Amino acid sequence: MRAAWGTATVAALGAMLAPGLAHATGVSAGTLIQNTATATYTSGTSSGSVTSNTVTVRVDELLDVAVAGLTTTPALAGASNVVLDYSITNTGNGPEQFNLAVNTAVAGNQFDAVLQSVVVDTNGNGTYDPGVDQVLTSGQPTPSIAADGSLRVFVIVSLPGTATDGQTSQVQLSATAVTGSGTPGTVFAGQGQGGGDAVVGASTATQSANDALIAALAAVALTKSASVVDPFGGNQPVPGAVVTYTLTATVSGTGQADNLRVTDVIPAGTTYEAGTLTLDSAALTDANDTDAGEASAAGIDVDLGNVAGGTSKTVRFNVKID
Amino acid sequence: MNKFLIAAVSGLLAGMAAPAVSAQAAQPVELKGDVKVVKVVIENGQEKIVLIDPKVVVPGDKLIFSTAYRNAGAEAVKDFVVTNPIPAGVALAPLGADKLEVSVDGGKTWGRLAALKVSDAAGPRAAEAGDVTHVRWVLPVLAPGASGTLTYNALVR
Repeated sequence: MRAAWGTATVAALGAMLAPGLAHATGVSAGTLIQNTATATYTSGTSSGSVTSNTVTVRVDELLDVAVAGLTTTPALAGASNVVLDYSITNTGNGPEQFNLAVNTAVAGNQFDAVLQSVVVDTNGNGTYDPGVDQVLTSGQPTPSIAADGSLRVFVIVSLPGTATDGQTSQVQLSATAVTGSGTPGTVFAGQGQGGGDAVVGASTATQSANDALIAALAAVALTKSASVVDPFGGNQPVPGAVVTYTLTATVSGTGQADNLRVTDVIPAGTTYEAGTLTLDSAALTDANDTDAGEASAAGIDVDLGNVAGGTSKTVRFNVKID
Repeated sequence: MNKFLIAAVSGLLAGMAAPAVSAQAAQPVELKGDVKVVKVVIENGQEKIVLIDPKVVVPGDKLIFSTAYRNAGAEAVKDFVVTNPIPAGVALAPLGADKLEVSVDGGKTWGRLAALKVSDAAGPRAAEAGDVTHVRWVLPVLAPGASGTLTYNALVR
């Protein structure tokens, strides 16, 4: 009777699990595999059944990890911080924490980025949310990642002052199982999830991946020229002559110049001619209002905002020689 | 019926404190289960397959489950059928599966793996080793004193 009940129970379990191998990374650490055989027979006129002892195998924890760089096209690094995107997948069969290490000095780098912080995508939205996503302090492991689970990690870096426009660099993130790593098959006795051992898998329980960035910098050149028209139809800087100043800001490089602003003072002995301020030949009011520029007897001030590399901006204004 | 009841009761007693002799008399056949894990070790630069006690087992490992039987009684035993459900967490290994009598439906129907079919979302398909729910061995007669070992290979899922 007992044997029959046991057989029926195990049969139901078997039916639930079949067919196919359900999990990519296998049965969970700590699972007990229990095998029992039952025999039926006849002996003379009676029949009987006998059940074997149950043999039990506990599944140990496999330590495995995969790391991928998700920044597929090199990130453009300018004046502000760059967010590099990685994923860490626990390919083992038990929940595991991982120690992270960032290497900014990858062989072949034209510059080495400056590490700012390592951040976990706490809210799982795939986007770096400052103040929301958890910053890992140095030496702090990731939160526990479930078997088969993935964790998004952001590495925040900035450009070093020595980087020049167009230079490339790679940043390597490596993840190592907290329980241990090493040659596949290395056993950490008693340290597995569920009371068993932990065993290093084929990944050696430590893996890394690179993300790339490109320095996208801009250089600004400013030139100033003057042309004079005198009241006599000539070009002499005599009292009453009008001087047109031309300021040209040229931005070069693949990046952009942020918050570019052109200012100039009205030279002594001259007077600003009201209403002559222009930006790229378009008139600007003298007042401090919604347009980009303002002008007064003291000087001019034109806010060009962010200017992409490869463009130039021209500011003009007139003064009259006193 | 009475005899069976007595046998059951004496078996229970044996399990508690009574001498084991009475239990053996009630069960002429003994079954003893065992499991080994198959590991490849490198010895003197050569790969060697060894069977060891399953101290460390991880997904993908190969296990050999065995059931030793022995007719300890004085009379021949007939229609000896050993049924072994495949435990949760392992799959029957493809290697050698074709030589076993198996079931893919929880023990309702039996046959060679190649002759069995299972249905999944995509419809009926040929059964694979991973679909097997039970294995069994049928021995027509066990003479008194006859013994042997029945084994199947399994992979930890």
